[in-house]
Amino acid sequence: MRFRFRSFRSRLVVVFLGLFALIQATGYIAVSAFVRASARHTVADELRLASTLFARQLEVRSQQLVGATRLLSGDFALKTAVATSDHATTASVLENHRRRVDADVLMLAALDGAVVADTRGTAPLGVPFPAPRLLSEAEAGRDASDVVAIAGNLYQVTVVPVLAPEPIAWLAAGFAIDDQTAAELRRLSGLHVSFVSGHDAAAVVHASTLDAADRATLARHLPVTRAAGTLELGGGEQLVRVEPVGRDAVVVLQRPLAEALAPYDHMLLILLAVAATGVVLALLGAVLVARRVSRPVLTLAGGARRVAAGDFDVAVAVSQRDELGELAATFNDMVGGLRERERVRDELERTAKLKRFFSPQLADALSAGDESLLASHRRHITVVFCDLRGFTAFAEAADPEDVMRLLHDYHATIGPLVFANEGTLERFTGDGLMVFFNDPVPCPDPAARAVRMAVAMRDAVAALLDGWRQRGHALGFGTGIAMGDATIGRIGFEGRFDYAAIGTVTNLAARLCQEARDGQILVSAPVHAEVEPLVDAKPIGALALRGFARPVMVYDILALRAEPAAPTSPVAP
Amino acid sequence: MRRMLAALGGAVALGLVASGPAMTDPTGVDVIVKDDHGKPVDAAVVSLAAPGGGAPPRTAEAVMDQQNKEFVPFVLPVTVGAAVTFPNRDNIRHHVYSFSPAKRFELPLYIGTPAAPVVFDKPGPVVLGCNIHDWMVGYIYVLATPYFVKTGEDGRARLSNVPPGAYEARVWHPRLKADTEKTAIPVTVGTGETAPVSFAVALKPDRRPIRRPGYEGAQGGS
Repeated sequence: MRFRFRSFRSRLVVVFLGLFALIQATGYIAVSAFVRASARHTVADELRLASTLFARQLEVRSQQLVGATRLLSGDFALKTAVATSDHATTASVLENHRRRVDADVLMLAALDGAVVADTRGTAPLGVPFPAPRLLSEAEAGRDASDVVAIAGNLYQVTVVPVLAPEPIAWLAAGFAIDDQTAAELRRLSGLHVSFVSGHDAAAVVHASTLDAADRATLARHLPVTRAAGTLELGGGEQLVRVEPVGRDAVVVLQRPLAEALAPYDHMLLILLAVAATGVVLALLGAVLVARRVSRPVLTLAGGARRVAAGDFDVAVAVSQRDELGELAATFNDMVGGLRERERVRDELERTAKLKRFFSPQLADALSAGDESLLASHRRHITVVFCDLRGFTAFAEAADPEDVMRLLHDYHATIGPLVFANEGTLERFTGDGLMVFFNDPVPCPDPAARAVRMAVAMRDAVAALLDGWRQRGHALGFGTGIAMGDATIGRIGFEGRFDYAAIGTVTNLAARLCQEARDGQILVSAPVHAEVEPLVDAKPIGALALRGFARPVMVYDILALRAEPAAPTSPVAP
Repeated sequence: MRRMLAALGGAVALGLVASGPAMTDPTGVDVIVKDDHGKPVDAAVVSLAAPGGGAPPRTAEAVMDQQNKEFVPFVLPVTVGAAVTFPNRDNIRHHVYSFSPAKRFELPLYIGTPAAPVVFDKPGPVVLGCNIHDWMVGYIYVLATPYFVKTGEDGRARLSNVPPGAYEARVWHPRLKADTEKTAIPVTVGTGETAPVSFAVALKPDRRPIRRPGYEGAQGGS
């Protein structure tokens, strides 16, 4: 029982805590998802901004390059050298001018597009210029600039005509885009920067802040859309933006998602701590609430246990005004009902006990009222003693079964007569019987009742004894009745009490019984005086009785007179 | 504006070359040059040459001014052996040069008129530039025949004082796509007759450096 309530409590705690944890978890997941989405958004914005900035920067740089290259191309010495086809001098001028503008390479192409000078020294001459489209653009008078891969290296190349004053050659200046460039851009933007030329399978990562493995991955997985996307690299998921920087070259900007999430980690940690604290507090709260809820339940359970153990003086104190309070009130009512039933049962039980001594009516009266009736007192009563003549001899001679059967029949015959006349059966003593009247409930005619009962007994027992006499057992029945004051009350000890009358009247009735022969009902003078109008009696005379100093006047009741003649006795229906 | 000035310069040059009573002689050629869109071509040089060579070149002197930081005229046709002076009418120096195969020369920064004229002794186009003014472009076209004329803005020109006979007419222009030698068409000049010569030529786009408005001394221009 206890275990079940404990589990009820823990179940309550688990449910409460589970709900709270669910809410916390949902909140955490929602916030976390929001943060991730927000971080993605932020990074995407950052990348877009950076790519726009880079593109603009490259554009500006290209314009500057065009300007610088144009300045170089206007040099008269260069023009002279070119115009005179003095290639050695031309190469020397180019190298000199390359240093002037700090370019990485200067090339001179003839009007037909063949390279005639190249500051890289080892590069072959006479070959077609690697970016012929730039020559066409320069010829068309436009600013010719592009990011071009030349011999595996990426350059930002500008081409301008050498005018004398008509174009006599094309001057190309190249500025390398290498790992250092990428590293500088990374310093500026905090992003990983890679420059890639070619498409799909032919994509080549020329310059990057990534390591070799990530470069290879990037070249393989460069998003086909060449726009924004994600990429899995060594550092985890990367948000990527691809921005064209030339006709055939792109800059790839990327940022690890983890890096963008890093500032939020602290926040999420705090959130997690708050959630955990919340769960702990919720646990405490749940335990408190569960205890609060289960305490009255436990009180009820305790009450129920006491009731089960037979203690009906239980009233659980649950003062709540809720369902449990209602349950407790109902429980108390139920226990009250049980208590009442138990009381009634006790009463019935006691009444049954009383019926051993008193008439059923008297027993009912006693059990209904208080027991003060049984308290010690003194009263004027009429005592009837009766027993069997010759019983002792019979008991010694006869079979025990016969003795017991005789006693049974005898008691069964006279017992009901005691109750019928509302006498108080004081005791059975084998064949003897003592009954008194006017106590504990007073009656108007104790003597008359006593005599009427005695006569009824004599007649009934006579019929019984006839049967036994025919079986050879000579038994008689004698009765003595006396009247007087006696001390009456409960005697005995806890567990075995008797209601006894003590006094001379008792002794006198007993002596008269001893004196009576079979069929005789000997009464004392006062008794006779009381019942004289009701009975035919024969004076026996004054008898000297043991224990009595003076002789006692004794009458034998022969018969009851006809009832109608008795004005004092109402006709029984 | 510049074209107008150039045309004016051409007229002056012609006046120097062809003068006298022949001006009224109808014997000659009426020239018209249009581009492939049918628009008249200004400053095209049309020349007549006898098929087997013939008439000896007429040497002459000519002038290529630098005026308001432009070469005037834009195109100056001369005969082989012509001595051209380059007077600088501006109050700043110019640095005239040419890397053309027909005549390579350089007049380093100077003011006024250089003492010695430049003699153009080989036929062919000579592109003139100024080292300090990128937009300054001028052309001296050196011819091996004395019979030539430069078109005006209307693409027309009249070539007089040509002895009657059979000739080959050729056209040259700074932006001509074709080789001038291959533009030859036969022309017969009769006495007292005016022979019409018409060219339709394809031109390269005009890619001269642009003299931007607001530039020092700029006076508009195309």
